Amino acid sequence: MAKDKVVVSTFALIPSLRSIVLRGGSLVGVIALSIAFASLSPHFMTLSNWLNILRQVAVVMILASAQTMVIITGGIDLSVGSLLALGGCLAAVAMSYWGWGFVLGSLLGIAVASLAGLGSGVVVAKGKIPDFIATLGMLGALRGVSLLVTGGLPVPSHFTATQLAGYLPQVLVWLGSGDIWLIPVPAIIGVVVVIITWFILSRTVFGRSLYAVGGNREAARASGIDVDRIKILVYGLSGLYCGIGGLVLVGRMNSANALMAEGIELQTIAAVVIGGTNLFGGRGSVFGTLVGAILMGVLSNGLNLLNVQPFWQRVVNGVLIIAVVVFDQWRRRLGE
Amino acid sequence: MVNEKKPLLVLKDICKEFPGVRALDKVSLEVFSGEVHAVLGENGAGKSTLMKILSGITRKDSGEIFLGDRKVDFRSPKDAIAAGVALVQQELSLVPYLSVAENLFLGRWHKQGLMIDWKALKAEAEQLLQRFGLTIAPQTTVEKLSVAEQQMVEILKAMAKPHVQVFLLDEPTSALSDKEIERLFVLLREIKKESKAIIFISHKINEALTISDRITVLRDGVKVITALRENLTEHDIIFHMTGRTLEAKQTTPAALSEKGREVVLSLRDVTVENFVRDIHLDIHRGEILIIFGLVGSGRTTLAEGIFGLKKLTGKIFLQGGEVHISSPLEAVERGIGYIPEDRRQGLVYEMPVFANITLAVLEKVSRRGILDLEEEHRIAKKFVNDLRIRTPHVFRQVLFLSGGNQQKVLLARWLARNPKVLIMDEPTRGIDVGAKFEVRELARTLASLGLVIVYITSEAPEALELGDRIVVMRGGRIVATFENLRAITKSELIAAASGVLAKEVVLNG
Repeated sequence: MAKDKVVVSTFALIPSLRSIVLRGGSLVGVIALSIAFASLSPHFMTLSNWLNILRQVAVVMILASAQTMVIITGGIDLSVGSLLALGGCLAAVAMSYWGWGFVLGSLLGIAVASLAGLGSGVVVAKGKIPDFIATLGMLGALRGVSLLVTGGLPVPSHFTATQLAGYLPQVLVWLGSGDIWLIPVPAIIGVVVVIITWFILSRTVFGRSLYAVGGNREAARASGIDVDRIKILVYGLSGLYCGIGGLVLVGRMNSANALMAEGIELQTIAAVVIGGTNLFGGRGSVFGTLVGAILMGVLSNGLNLLNVQPFWQRVVNGVLIIAVVVFDQWRRRLGE
Repeated sequence: MVNEKKPLLVLKDICKEFPGVRALDKVSLEVFSGEVHAVLGENGAGKSTLMKILSGITRKDSGEIFLGDRKVDFRSPKDAIAAGVALVQQELSLVPYLSVAENLFLGRWHKQGLMIDWKALKAEAEQLLQRFGLTIAPQTTVEKLSVAEQQMVEILKAMAKPHVQVFLLDEPTSALSDKEIERLFVLLREIKKESKAIIFISHKINEALTISDRITVLRDGVKVITALRENLTEHDIIFHMTGRTLEAKQTTPAALSEKGREVVLSLRDVTVENFVRDIHLDIHRGEILIIFGLVGSGRTTLAEGIFGLKKLTGKIFLQGGEVHISSPLEAVERGIGYIPEDRRQGLVYEMPVFANITLAVLEKVSRRGILDLEEEHRIAKKFVNDLRIRTPHVFRQVLFLSGGNQQKVLLARWLARNPKVLIMDEPTRGIDVGAKFEVRELARTLASLGLVIVYITSEAPEALELGDRIVVMRGGRIVATFENLRAITKSELIAAASGVLAKEVVLNG
């Protein structure tokens, strides 16, 4: 409480701080939260804790990168969690029960998730169905497929594993929980994905087309951009990212199950929105999303360290999203 | 005579600053009841900001506003309406699925207990409509009305609140045809009679000269002059608006023979959406073909058909070969460019200038899908210079540019593709005087370089000044073709477009 007051009064004293807050947005939020948590818990500002945060947000980071691209086109992909589960489960089943090995199993998982994503895209673009509805349907249907693939059991399960001598390959486990020097492998994958996404968005014809389609669909069409193709591809790409995310998550848990990462779509959307991407399309950046994902990671990590009940954490997370959007609108109005 | 009265609305030293721009600099203004006060200025002169402050949408930085004897400070549009200042917006605020009567008294419906008293509502709406000479049935749903009718309902909606004394009209004629504008003016004169004040924002000088009692000109946020209408000429106003004198270009309609007779674009038996029919046209290299017609004549539908935005049947020949165009992508690939009537359909506002310019040539500024940003910037800078697009740099978002400069960005997009045919649909609508001259000049230059320009307009003077040939459309058909433009007059052209004999046409202004 007292801390809050100090912060507020400093705001009033140094006007330039106001402009920092206005420009920096969520990054300032991350720093402010970190300072707060660091002063409340001695365990927060340690290297191992930060590596832990990175490890935890890696999967959200990967999926949120995909979500950023989809949202920039003015769409939304509610099926990212289900795509992740489908890709992860198929890969795990192929590796541990069918003896496909790491490479083939991974390719299968990623390929199927990509195809499913392309399917959403076709439904959206050719079926003229709102993105929200099409991917909501996929969210349900693909969970069902994952349950069918795994029979509702974890993969590998204790029972089947002993029978079939099936275990997940060590490489996969390393992807999810290994380190290179001190840095967690999933965090490295997450950052690489973010950088690739940045490159796609800012340096490729495809990325430019995403902004054009989201910014003004009619103008994009009238400039000779094949809007349907762009839509289908972006959902396919989302599937691909989710497939990769699925591998990382399965590796981290050393197990796959059809219900993993439930509700993660909301976290990805939150990360995108906190990162300043316009929910209606046309504007946004994946680095913003990266910061958004880290902000949420820092928040939940800090609250854990402070022994705040998980129930309260949900409340705080929800309030955070609303607060950020309110802040963002306020910022934009001042910027006008 | 108006000056002897006490002003109804007084603005004193209004200032408003946006980051980097001084939108209004100590603007003072007096408006009397019973007058139409036109506020003129180029885009970016501060007209809209002034309107927004007066209607409570934006707050002023400093200065004072007096309404009657009271000093007022509007914090929201609600405050302004409560005080008696109503804004009639360009974007209408009617509920499309409700009836005219319901819209007129929106939120203030006569009630009997919990129920709406439909009879009283209808009666009162009818009375209001009649008072201003409108023949719209009060039970019609608003979506079925034409844009012009909707706009009049919008104005009457403000009139239905008896305490409203000041009407702010922001570019009310931008979507209207000449005939509809006249009807609007009749309505405004009626309102004037009831001792209300009307502030009329426009950049159409002739309209201001027709309807207003006094005229105020803004330039770069500063009030240049307020004067009685009769003391100003069109040339004075242009001078005040732009700060320079524009010499009217004396054009000599180039004879077609000079440009050769190579036919670039031919339309045979073209039908678009069962509305535009029987279109036969041959358009030559280097020609500016004007399609003249009123709103709803089918001219835009025809353009959209050629560009693949609407379903077209019949034959299109491009440089002798038949082509099938079923999407804009195919049109673009064949070398046809289209600047839509509404800039909002063409520009991606959130994108910077350079990205809007290169949007139709992305494959040319990239290799294997990866953009060459330097090449993009080079092309963009070239067009910004060539077309004199006023922007601080090519990274500026298009949304911050004035209407005329936005239009030039669209033009640049197509020029970057080096098209064979460029269709321009009302390219000078809603842009300021200086930019109008420039856009027309560009059309001429492009034609002289060998492009086919299909230029759609509903302004007769523009058609006569710019065109090599004029086809007139009405009801989805070509009803007249004029080859020798020296031999026809503005009124003949309008007569052909509106389907009456020339002598019956009453021209205003």
